[in-house]
Amino acid sequence: MRVDVRALGACNRLAERGAGRAADALAELTGTDLAVEVTGTSVASGTDLAEAFAGRESVGVSVGLRGGLEGEAVLAFDPVTADSLRSLLPGGESMERSAMTEAGNIALGGFLDGWANYLGRAIDMTPPRYVEADGAAILPDGARSGDGVFLFESRLDASHADLDFAIYMLPDSDRFRDLIVGRTAAGTAEAAGTTAETDGTTPHGTAGDGAADGGRAGGGHAGGHAGDASGGTAVPYDSLSTFASLAKRGSANAADNVAMMTGLETSVDVSRLRFVPLADVPATVGTEPHAGTVFELQGSPSGYLAILFPEAAAANVAATMLPTEPDEPLGETARTALCELGNVMTSGFIDGWANVLDTAISHSPPEFVHDIGASTVSPLVAQLSERQDYGFVIDAAIETEGVQAGCHVYALPDERELAAALERLSGA
Amino acid sequence: MATRVLIADDSEFMRNLLREILEGEFEIVGEAENGVEAVNMYGEHGPDLVMMDIVMPIRDGIEATTEITESDPDATVIMCTSVGQEEKMKEAIRAGAEGYITKPFQKPNVLDAIGSAV
Repeated sequence: MRVDVRALGACNRLAERGAGRAADALAELTGTDLAVEVTGTSVASGTDLAEAFAGRESVGVSVGLRGGLEGEAVLAFDPVTADSLRSLLPGGESMERSAMTEAGNIALGGFLDGWANYLGRAIDMTPPRYVEADGAAILPDGARSGDGVFLFESRLDASHADLDFAIYMLPDSDRFRDLIVGRTAAGTAEAAGTTAETDGTTPHGTAGDGAADGGRAGGGHAGGHAGDASGGTAVPYDSLSTFASLAKRGSANAADNVAMMTGLETSVDVSRLRFVPLADVPATVGTEPHAGTVFELQGSPSGYLAILFPEAAAANVAATMLPTEPDEPLGETARTALCELGNVMTSGFIDGWANVLDTAISHSPPEFVHDIGASTVSPLVAQLSERQDYGFVIDAAIETEGVQAGCHVYALPDERELAAALERLSGA
Repeated sequence: MATRVLIADDSEFMRNLLREILEGEFEIVGEAENGVEAVNMYGEHGPDLVMMDIVMPIRDGIEATTEITESDPDATVIMCTSVGQEEKMKEAIRAGAEGYITKPFQKPNVLDAIGSAV
């Protein structure tokens, strides 16, 4: 199966709009302003997800999906957020699980409406199920056992209350496979640059339209190749999950290099390959001050890489590398140390790719950045946005023991060149 | 005489919310937790109006509405659900529903829908 990158973008947009509807529904229920912060599509193995969710406790509502889409969707909160939500719902404190379950049901109903209208086919929801779970057990069934699954994740943010939560959907049906290989309306419209509005008032199609479009699209991008003349980018599905594993190995190499240079014990806490609108990447990094290094990657794939530490962590890690305490926490000496650290981390990160992809990837000298997190990556996103709207973002969190020195590595490869590299990987 | 209403929703939270909205102006004759109970309580109480959720265990609201309207073509059912999909709305209308409101709703939405249907 080949995944059409633009069709995947269309799916991500549907998820984003669905999350917007879910946010509207919950905002109305609770009287709180809510906004969709980030919506992304993860490609991750069950093992990766188990590691990413380790130590988390979640409260959520789960529904099964049948019909237009099959699979499962889960709305998840951390326990503190769940308490806040209960206090905001009318009668919520006394209703306990019933209030939470219904709030989740309403939000998930809103999330799925756009998908159903787009597909021109109803999606049946099973009655909502209240769930409390540790770790990745909160995720839809099948997410933890898959070799490589698509997981849509939307994070919503409340402006006046502690109400952040996430929606996870794991679709598993022929319809969804048709969507991501570009055989249905979503893929076709996106690939043709004629994205239809999918809100409740102007749905893309009515019953029957989806099938008609699906037939028409059969000769479109379904058979496209990486960087083909029609403008579509298709990625072999199997190589995508392999690349996710590769990215994880790169993160481990980078973490090992941190350990060697600083003497700190390190581990990779999270490493995920996500497909997100590039415009959302700065929001992913957040508004807290960060310091670190950014690089331009040259080769196949080219792109950008940013290694970002929260400000205090940057100062800590620099201090561990210097023989004496620097005059300023992030002065010239510390900057030099962080640049050198960035160099070896980047090499560790990309060397594994280059070896497996049988290609050469080099990187520019490090550029030190120290700013609000979002501002550090905005220039990289702006450069890449000239060529693509969506990006495969490899987000790795490297943790250190004893000293607050954790960091995130964001790799933003060029979409077409990555697709070409994956094509080679698939053929190898 | 007040309009007699049957509420069918598997969520206790939503049943309470609807009861709070309707009490005073309408007579609540019963509360069903699934489609089977809704059909049985309809036969038992013969309400003027059913506020029916779609997604319910045992038998969903669309099946229950079909059964109710087949047995009583004059039955008035308003779908009251979190599902706002167009295809589902069409299914509900085909099953015999007079109206449709999407959760979350405010009291005026509910009263408007009832005003149009009854």
